[in-house]
Amino acid sequence: MFSAELFTQSLIAGIVIGIIYALMALGITFIYSIVKMINWAMGEFYMLGSFVQYFLVVGLLGPDLWWVAALLSAAAVFLVGWLIEPVLIKPMFTGGIERRDDYATVVTIALLLLMRNLATALNGPYQRSPGTNLGTVMLGPLPESGARLAAALCALAAMVLFWVLLKKTWLGLALRASSQSRVGVQIAGVDILRLDQVAFGIGVGLAGVAGALLAPVFLVFPTNGVVTTTKGFEIIVIGGLGSIPGAVVAGILLGVAESLGAAFISSPYQNAYGFVLLLAVLLIKPSGLFGERMRHA
Amino acid sequence: MRSTRHPAWIGALALAAFGTAGAPAHAQEPITIGLIVPLSPPGDPTGGQLIRRGAELAVEYYNQKGGVLGRPLQLSVQDSQGRPEGGVAAYRRVVGEDKAIAVTGFFHSSVNIAVNELAKNMGVPTMSTQASAAEITSKRYPVAFRTHAIDPLRVAAWLDFMAQKGFKRVSIVAETSDFGIGLTEETQKQVKDKKLAIELQTISFDRSSTDLTPQLLQVKAYKPDLVVNIGVGQPMDLIIDQATTLGILPTTPMLVSYDAPARPQFWQLHPNNGNGIYFIAYYSPKEKLSELGEWLAKTYQAKYNEAPVYGSLNGFGDIAIIAQAATQAKSTDPKAMVAALEGGSFESWPDAKVTFPKADGPYWHNWAPPVLILHFTKPNQDWKEAEVVIEYGK
Amino acid sequence: MTSPVLAATGLVKRFGGFTANDGVDIAVGAGEVRGIIGPNGAGKTTLVNMITGVERPNAGEILLGGAPIGGLAPDAIAARGLVRSFQVARVFGDMSLVENLLVPYLARRGRLAEGEARARDLIGRANLARLADAPAKTLSGGQRVLLQVAAGFMCPQLSVYVLDEPFAGVNPVIKDTILDLIATERRERNVTFVVVSHEMDIMRRLCDRITVMVEGRVLLEGTLEEVASDPRVVAAYLGKPLR
Repeated sequence: MFSAELFTQSLIAGIVIGIIYALMALGITFIYSIVKMINWAMGEFYMLGSFVQYFLVVGLLGPDLWWVAALLSAAAVFLVGWLIEPVLIKPMFTGGIERRDDYATVVTIALLLLMRNLATALNGPYQRSPGTNLGTVMLGPLPESGARLAAALCALAAMVLFWVLLKKTWLGLALRASSQSRVGVQIAGVDILRLDQVAFGIGVGLAGVAGALLAPVFLVFPTNGVVTTTKGFEIIVIGGLGSIPGAVVAGILLGVAESLGAAFISSPYQNAYGFVLLLAVLLIKPSGLFGERMRHA
Repeated sequence: MRSTRHPAWIGALALAAFGTAGAPAHAQEPITIGLIVPLSPPGDPTGGQLIRRGAELAVEYYNQKGGVLGRPLQLSVQDSQGRPEGGVAAYRRVVGEDKAIAVTGFFHSSVNIAVNELAKNMGVPTMSTQASAAEITSKRYPVAFRTHAIDPLRVAAWLDFMAQKGFKRVSIVAETSDFGIGLTEETQKQVKDKKLAIELQTISFDRSSTDLTPQLLQVKAYKPDLVVNIGVGQPMDLIIDQATTLGILPTTPMLVSYDAPARPQFWQLHPNNGNGIYFIAYYSPKEKLSELGEWLAKTYQAKYNEAPVYGSLNGFGDIAIIAQAATQAKSTDPKAMVAALEGGSFESWPDAKVTFPKADGPYWHNWAPPVLILHFTKPNQDWKEAEVVIEYGK
Repeated sequence: MTSPVLAATGLVKRFGGFTANDGVDIAVGAGEVRGIIGPNGAGKTTLVNMITGVERPNAGEILLGGAPIGGLAPDAIAARGLVRSFQVARVFGDMSLVENLLVPYLARRGRLAEGEARARDLIGRANLARLADAPAKTLSGGQRVLLQVAAGFMCPQLSVYVLDEPFAGVNPVIKDTILDLIATERRERNVTFVVVSHEMDIMRRLCDRITVMVEGRVLLEGTLEEVASDPRVVAAYLGKPLR
């Protein structure tokens, strides 16, 4: 039964969740564009961010300083990524490894299992939440949870900051250049291996921020990254691997497709609508909405 | 014995060697019980871990007393991930490689149903700890056993509850698992069979959904007297929180379809909207526990710093029952185990005898604890102090 | 010659069973323009790759200004003032021409305003001023080569510039622009050049000395006239007379 109000409500809900998905996708696509590998453990960095947020809020800062905690969580996850990269990822480029893609897959899946099992062993059978004092907010006709809305707004802010970093800073210039030609940027005098380290840290930091922001919404437990990872990869395929505008646009499209599909077509198949969208895009443009055909430079 | 040339320890060594050489090798070989539980998604790891805690303590209990049939007891714990294929592979492994004498655990109904199809052929009995779909036992397989409330009982309990409270319009929001679909269909069936004057709205959702706003907006538009929350794990919490955001809670009563609100974390997750929730529980706080049950409660409290919840109790109980069945059968042979389980009478955690009669329909080989519906009347209330609204099946 | 600014001795590079460079020696003096010629497959690009850090030598030594650089990463070598351009121009397609030129400049922590001024000046000298803010992928093939060559000149500490086939498939106007840039930089900053090319008339005009490589080794060195008339060189080019 169609009603304009239900449509508007579903649309808004879809946009809110879509922006949040986009943040995950952004991290994945960014790492891919610089380091040329897919990090399958992104969900575990999301999970790490949510745990750091939980401990900071519950142990130190209290729920009202959630945004301070989120910044610190992002920094913490960045640091972890920055420290792990030279150990796990760098050998892909310096260690004389021949099958780079296979290596990256094996290593990041191993990291995924390690982090998830470690968290399960340490956490026990509990789900936690840092709690929130943000009440319900009316977005037009839709009552939306304050925490979820805050997460979406902060996700937008993070994306804007990310864009500023890329376009307006020297680091951003180097990152953009290296995504277009690794060799070219080395010849220009940029230490690509240190850039990889920073890029990996930033990429997982974005996942960590998503985890921190969503801790009161999707809760904190060792496997909370799984769903967001799935959505993240769906978005990458829809938006085009390596494309940043692709991640944002596809993220919102996915959120809206799922929301409207669930409201008007059939709700148990909510997750299927995203895949229908994915198939449709692949049929029309196999490299994704903003994707480019692969060139190996 | 006087040792002249040889030091005393050689004699002791020889004695030890002869001593063990005489006894049959397998007397020291442990007895394995398979435990198939969800420990990672898409299953509910909390459910799995709680069952595992109870099962591990049961193994400790029996090993302290010298084991079973003179042999130490051990668990082979397998992660079903909540997926039927995972469960089937796990059953094959514990029965084929680890030579388990029985397989228990089973939290997700879809896993149990799939495993029973294999168990039917391989012969080693299964015992459902917390999987409630009727199909698990209604096919009357000799190998299928269960120590949990089946869905018809659960549904009968909540229909009683609706009658008592005068709820006429009910929204069921159910996950698309065997548990969710089973309960929804059973509810529809019993309403029809018992000719009850209840109108139902049934809404389903995928367990991995991150936003149930579309579904809950439909519930809100329906203006029900009661919302039945059939989510397991994170979806259950999501429904509670999003229903609060949309204004459905706290004005509309909500019933949670299993005992998760009894867990200690409930109030941490829902400090502001947990009050007033109705939920299913499987034993009355006022009920006495058996000696076994008391041992478990004490040991669990000391180890985990909290009281055991139903999953742990029943996990403990199932291992205990299997251990007793082996003792009564004086054998670990699968056929003997099945016969012992069918014919015997066992002690578990509640102060009542456990038997597995060859009864009709889903009551086949089923022992059910009572089904209660409890009600939180104060924030942060310990579940043992909650109001008991319905006590069904005693 | 007085102490060479770039000296390589005994360089060997093997790829599996194939030896691309089999003991190559080369020494280039400061301010010189050295040409490297040879038939296809002689190992010229491999030599260039080893000198610039893109490949690691299996044996041999490379000294830049007397200090060893063999086996260092390309960015470390660029930091020491040895820059190269590629046969297939490596430009950053989604960035503007100015941004392309800023990359090598800012890599040395230069200041943005200075870098931008310098970039625009260089773009002007390359006759690409009207495309300065356009994305590099809109450039034609020849313009990309020109941009890439110009990018090397942005490196503040440039001392040796290795150009790998900078004239291949490029129109005469652009060829002349590249030659002008080379001449200016040579005059103003005493940059040393090593140029790999097949374009013999340009090499005649441009290079002080020529090194001829055949089958992974240096065959001989001399002026273009000297090497062009050597029968071995002629034979190596399959009997085709050099123009």
